[in-house]
Formats: sequence, structure tokens, C-alpha cells
Amino acid sequence: MPSRPLRRLREGWPAYLFVLPSVLLMAYFSYVPAYTAMTRAFTDWDGLNVPTFTGLENFQRALTDPVMGQAALNAGIWVVLGLVLAVLPPLLVAELIFNLRGQRRQYAWRSLFVVPVVVPSLVLLLMWGTFFRSDGLINTVLGSVGLGAWRHDWLSDPSTALYSLIFLGFPYIDVFFLLLLYAGLQNIAPEVFEAGKMDGAVGWRRVLYLDLPLLRPQLGLIALLSVIGNVQYFISPLVLTSGGPGYSTTVPALLMYNTATRNGEYGYAMAIAVLLMLVVVVLTGLSRLVARERA
Amino acid sequence: MMRKRLLSGTLLLGAALLGPAQAAPGAWKGTITMYVQEYTPNWPDAAKPLKAFQQIADEYRKANPGIQIKFSTSPIPDNDTNVRVKAAAGELFDIYWAQSTSLNSTLPKGVAVDLAPVFAQPNPYIPGNKAWQDVMNKTQVAENRAPNGAVYVLSADNVAFTIFYNKDLFKKAGISKPPTSWPELIAVSKKLKAAGINPFHQVPAYPWWGNFFISDLYAKEFARLTRFDGLPGQSGLDEAVAIHKGILSPKDPRFMSWWPTFKQLTDTWPRDYLTLDASKNYDAFNQDFVGGKSAMIFEGSYSIRSLQDLGAKFAVGAFNFPALTKAQSPYATGTYVANSVGGNGSFQYAVSTPLANKTMREAGKSAAVLDWMRYFGTPKNVQRIIVENATYVPTWPGVNAPLSPSFDSTPFKQQATKPRLELNVGSAAPGLGWTDMQRIFGLYLSGNITLDQAKSQVQTLLDKSANEYARKNKVDFSNYK
Repeated sequence: MPSRPLRRLREGWPAYLFVLPSVLLMAYFSYVPAYTAMTRAFTDWDGLNVPTFTGLENFQRALTDPVMGQAALNAGIWVVLGLVLAVLPPLLVAELIFNLRGQRRQYAWRSLFVVPVVVPSLVLLLMWGTFFRSDGLINTVLGSVGLGAWRHDWLSDPSTALYSLIFLGFPYIDVFFLLLLYAGLQNIAPEVFEAGKMDGAVGWRRVLYLDLPLLRPQLGLIALLSVIGNVQYFISPLVLTSGGPGYSTTVPALLMYNTATRNGEYGYAMAIAVLLMLVVVVLTGLSRLVARERA
Repeated sequence: MMRKRLLSGTLLLGAALLGPAQAAPGAWKGTITMYVQEYTPNWPDAAKPLKAFQQIADEYRKANPGIQIKFSTSPIPDNDTNVRVKAAAGELFDIYWAQSTSLNSTLPKGVAVDLAPVFAQPNPYIPGNKAWQDVMNKTQVAENRAPNGAVYVLSADNVAFTIFYNKDLFKKAGISKPPTSWPELIAVSKKLKAAGINPFHQVPAYPWWGNFFISDLYAKEFARLTRFDGLPGQSGLDEAVAIHKGILSPKDPRFMSWWPTFKQLTDTWPRDYLTLDASKNYDAFNQDFVGGKSAMIFEGSYSIRSLQDLGAKFAVGAFNFPALTKAQSPYATGTYVANSVGGNGSFQYAVSTPLANKTMREAGKSAAVLDWMRYFGTPKNVQRIIVENATYVPTWPGVNAPLSPSFDSTPFKQQATKPRLELNVGSAAPGLGWTDMQRIFGLYLSGNITLDQAKSQVQTLLDKSANEYARKNKVDFSNYK
């Protein structure tokens, strides 16, 4: 008599058959590269020739490199502020839209926030790059409203470059997060709001005591995605500052990218990638732990 | 598995190295693929497409029926990445453009054939030639040499650099003639700024501006600093040894004494690009100049064509970097260094190995590719190719190709009459000059760090680079006196 797992496999074979192509493709395009990165992180590899095993040398180099220290600090700041930007503005806008009277109005405003998603992100980055120039939009606006003293060389000053990149993209509405929160609000049963109303939960009190606790699964997911995304993010420093001035906007993912593509040191770049992956795994585990404890 | 790959890799590399001396040309029939960068014939978007390389290929095909030469006419924005990706797939061009600095340091070993043994053999297409290298520029061949002694590129031209200026904006600011000395350059920049015109609006590239100053300040030691490897020209080894000895280093008072002098100039520039990456913002500052946002741009001779292509609607003039005097620096030697910036241009061609290009495993193909390279690599054909483009300076003795007649090329002609001295740091480690030094340089020029802080950071960087060079190339610095 076949064992229980085997019996299950035999009984559900059509379902497994349908899933198999996706699993194989995912394994080839996601797990194989990850496996390659993990194994080649212990080698000296130029991307073409046979890798030479170097043990922990790449990891030692990464962990003792002062540039990596600065990059890790920058990434930490980015993760914390990025989390605030990922949660607060979309939550605020989701609440505003949800509290509009009439489905049509809600639909129209929702659509307005979704429309910009068709603009390629690189275009937005380049546009913001021009805004930050000494003769760009931000300084022009500051000058025209009597705040000329606040004019600044935003990206060429190490003390403002990182924050300029983090706070790039006003009004910071991530469409996916907005829709996630809006859908979460829609999922709350009207009876709950009615009952809350009778208990005095109106306006901000309702947001604090009803909406936020009931949106916890969505907020948890957004926090998780934001942290993972920001640990791995390097596009705007790559495009706008190349990690400078100095190393003030360098993040570990950019260091990894430059190490591979510019210096051709793929083994070392993969060691940085593995370290990043470990950070993501630890942060994910921690967030799950916190979520479980709160639940 | 690992052993098998190692063995096959070694065999392929061996085949690549031995290939040139083995099979005779004519044994192989097929198509030779080439990427020749700015000398590409029949470029689809060019207003006046070049023809010379195609004509030479047609002549070769006529003499060698069965061999086709196919030029790639697809734009390649990032050549090193293109080489890496194509080589990893085994699909690199048979002959391709690449800078020797990339092939010597950052590109994987085994993407290009060592041409040094081929250069030592006669080129049958040059009458009476005993060794191909006899017709080449010896300094350039030496400068292209990798730490292992290999030479991966056939080089025949240089980029010459100068300061281009917008004559209309100069006139608008009341400036009647271009500056001829450093104080005049500063005065002109201040005058432009006072008239609301940006003097320069670009990244002050450390490797380029540094060449002017370092070459002048160390001119008396030029022979010593370029001969640690026993060859003319400053190689990566020469550079690493000089760093290790504390000569090309902040330990020597000359090395960074010019930074405050140069800062006088950049203090008149807008700060936008001062701290950025030169390669990333290249198009932006060219567009700023063409768009009339800045009055001057420090650029290569290739700009003669690109400024026209970008549609500059003003008269463009040019002047060279002025000789320094004791008024600028007590260490100034007054040496002519205006021609110290430049180096390899567009005629820099490597041959791919069977490891990087599967088709090179075909019997006789390596020999056929090298035969074609010998054919187009004669002084006569080099002249035909370079003269048609008219934006690069030929380097081979006796090869003469004037720059575009539509442009006043007097500054470039002046440069060509003087001996070329070039000293700086930039190639002892990957990214040393263009990224790591550039970061510190930008921070200093933008006023974010002091000169002493910059010196400390530069010393740390140079120590790291020299040690990295020694470790990777198994160099014992104590062997060099």
C-alpha cells in the first residue's frame, strides 16, 4: 500500500501537473541564480573563467570595507524613512478616498492616483534630477515664495543628498500600497463602523481605534514589502548620484551592482548579494515574529 | 565537473594563444564580424556615413573570395558590459573595439588574444616589414601592455583634448580672445560668471585635469616614473610602484599641491556636476554646452563631430590648457603638457578568443581573422580610416590624418608638434581614477572636505590600490629601485 504522501500525489496529479511548469520556470529563473550567487560568493570569479575558491575572503572584505559601513548606515536610514513613506501617505489618501461620499467620486479619485503608474519610473527619476539642480524647480519655487535662503545644492551636498533621494517623488503615493489599504477599508463590514459610531468612534478616533487595528494585515504586508524593497533598492542613487557625493548615497545594493558591472568582480559582488539576502531574511523573520506576538 | 571546465578553458585559451602562429590564411571560409566603434562604415543614422573601412573590407574580400567582413552597426552604449555579456554567451565579435585599460584590468582574462607575438612577426601586407610593431607607436604599445606582458589591442589613434568655447557667449561677456594663461582662464571664467553665464558646466574629470598638472609638476622625473617596467609610457606597474614609493602620493608635496589652484577655477562653476560621475553625466553636460548653458567645455577631438551632430548653432572655438608658471605653483616646471590628456581613441581593436567566441574554434578562423587584421592594419589603410573620420589623431610614425577642415584645429596641431608626457594615477586598480579619486576630488572642489581631509582619504585609497595591484599581479615592490 503506497504511503500517504504518495497516495495524495497520485490522487491530485492533474493539479500538480498544472503547477509543474510554473514551479520549473521559477526554479530555473529564481532558485538557480540564488544558488549560483550563494556558491560563487566563496570564489574569485570574473564572470567568464572558472571561479577560484577563496573561502570567506569576499565576506571578510565586505564586512571590513569602510565603504560598506557607510553604505549599510545609508541603507538603514533609507529603510526607516522609506517605511514611514510607504505607510503614511498611502494610508492618508486611502482614508480620504474611502470617506468620500459616492462610489463614482471614489472611483474617479482612485483612478487619478493610479494613472501616474503608466509613467516609467526612470522618467520620473530623471525629472526629479532636474528638479534638484541648482537652477531646478525646487530652488525656483523656494525663491519665488520668499524662501530664497533655503535654496540648496540638493544632490551635491553630502548632508542633503541621501534625504533628497529618499524624499524624491512627492506626494509619495505608492499605488499598490494605496489600493491594498483602500481594499482593506472596503473589507471592513459596515456594521462594525455603525457599532463604532455608537461608541463615539468618529473622525480620527475611528481611524485610530477601528481602521488601524483592522488594517493590521495590510499594514504588516506593506511594512514587509517596503523593508525588503528598500534594502535591495539602488536605482535612484545609480541614476542620479552614482552613490555620491563621496559615498553619501551609496547603499550596499549599489556597491554590489558596481562591483559586478564596473569592476568585473562577480565573486565579491555575489558575497555582498548573499549578505543582503541574509539581512532581508532576518528582517522578514523579525517582522513575522512581531506580527505573531501582536496577534 | 570543475576539473573538466578548467581543462577545457585552458585548452581553449591555449588554442587562442597558439592559433595565430599556426594555420595559414586562406584555409577558412566564412564571415568575420567586427565592431569598430566610431569608424563604423554605413552607420544608419549618420548624416555622412563613413565608407573607408567598408572599401578596405571589399578589397580584402576581392583578394580572398569566400571571406565576408560584416560590421556591426548597432549602437553599444556600454562597451565593457557588452563585451562581458557577449563573451559569457560565447558570442563576442571576432574583432572588437575595447580600451586596453579595460582589457588589462576589469574585463575577464581570456576575452582577447595576446597580440604581442603577432606584432613581433612580419606583416606581409607592409612591403619589407620585419615585425609589424616596427610601424606602430612604441610608447602606445608599451602603455597598452597588461601586467602579464600581453598586448590585447591593435592601437593606431589618440583622442586629443582641448577646451572648446562658445564664441557668441564670450562676445556677450565682452571677452575678445581666448585665455592663454591660467590667471587669464580664471579671469575669463569670473567675467563670464559676472555676466550671468556659466563658464563650465560639467564634471571636472580628475584623470584628465590631473594629467595636466601632475605631468607638469613631475616632468623632471618623467623618465624615471615611466621606466619601472623597462618600457616607455606609464603603465599600471609604473603607477603602482610610484604610489608605493610615496612619489605619486600625498606624501610628495607636489602630488596634491594643484588642487587649491584648480579649485579657483571650479569655484566659478555651478555645483551641480562637481561631485558627480563623469561617465554618467556625459550627455547632460554636452547638451548644456550645445544648449548655450555654459561657455566652455573640456572635451576630446571627437567633439568636433558630436557638437555638429547635436546641432550647436554657434561658432565654436578652442584653446589649449596653458603652461603653468611659478605663480601658480612653486613646483611648476613650465613644461608643455596640453597634449598629456587623451590616449587611446577609436582605433583600438582586440581579437576574441575561442572562449569568448565559439566561432573562433573553427579550424583556421583565428588565422583568417588575424590575416584580415594585418590587412587593414597597414599604415596606408590606417591613414584611410582615420583621415575619413577626421576627429582622431593618428599615432603611427608617418601616418598623417588632419582633423576636420570645417573646424579650426590649430590647438590640436599645436599639441601634435610637442613631445607627449603623461603622468597621473588612475589604472593601478579598477575604478581608481574615474570613480574613487573622482569622489574625493569632487568633495574637495565642492567645499565639503578640506585639503588635509582629502589628502588623508587619497593616501588610504592609493595604499589600497597599490596593495591590490601587487596582490593580484604578484608584484614585489622591493624589486624596483
